[in-house]
Amino acid sequence: MADEKDQPQEECFECKKKQKDARWREDFPVSWENDNYVTRREMVKFLALGSLTIAGANAVVAGLPYISKAAEMPRTRVGLASSIPVGGSKLFSYPTPEDPCILVRQNNGDLVAYSQVCTHLSCAVVHNEKENALFCPCHHGYFSVDEGRPYAGPPTRPLPRIKLEQQGNEIFAIGVEV
Amino acid sequence: MSTRQAQGTTLFTALLFLIGIGVVVQLWLLAASVDALLRHQENTSIHAAIGSAVVFAINGLLVLYVFNFDRRIKRDSERMK
Repeated sequence: MADEKDQPQEECFECKKKQKDARWREDFPVSWENDNYVTRREMVKFLALGSLTIAGANAVVAGLPYISKAAEMPRTRVGLASSIPVGGSKLFSYPTPEDPCILVRQNNGDLVAYSQVCTHLSCAVVHNEKENALFCPCHHGYFSVDEGRPYAGPPTRPLPRIKLEQQGNEIFAIGVEV
Repeated sequence: MSTRQAQGTTLFTALLFLIGIGVVVQLWLLAASVDALLRHQENTSIHAAIGSAVVFAINGLLVLYVFNFDRRIKRDSERMK
């Protein structure tokens, strides 16, 4: 009996709730689905703006190397040319003290310098006189002394070359060729 | 819906897809450009930037065309009323 009495009261409560909902919907007529609805026109505008943004980003990426090149590289004294024998090497830093480099005198007497940071995983490369190569001991990568190109092991990119200038007996680093 | 309006709807949808494909191509070019930058291959970045600009120009022209078409249809339908 008690259940029968409660039933109409519950229905009434539901009715009131529905009425309240209806009033609320009148005040805020935008439904969630409509709020998230994107027209094709809006989508086309969004894509066009996206296209412009990507083209701009691409232009910035293309211009970055020229901006960084424009910044002048310092002229740093490396050492005396006579202090490096044929097949010998010398370590120095260029362009900042945090950039280790290696200067090598080749068998033909020419001096070449490269960044000492391996292009694989940034270990320090060393001069291997027997094989006339720059050798990375971490993963056994080999770079040619002539051009700094990798010819064995995991590295795929050449070592950045340091531009040198010789004035009398003194050697100066004047730039980086990547 | 008039024949012209139906034609406009189809055109709009088709161009929306074309522009979408253009944007995807541009994203691919941007990824290739960044990759080339890290490999110190400046030429590739320049070519990718030129390609991206061309794709953007095509996208822009398509958008202008489709909006003009849409405007013309609306104007015509208003005249008919």
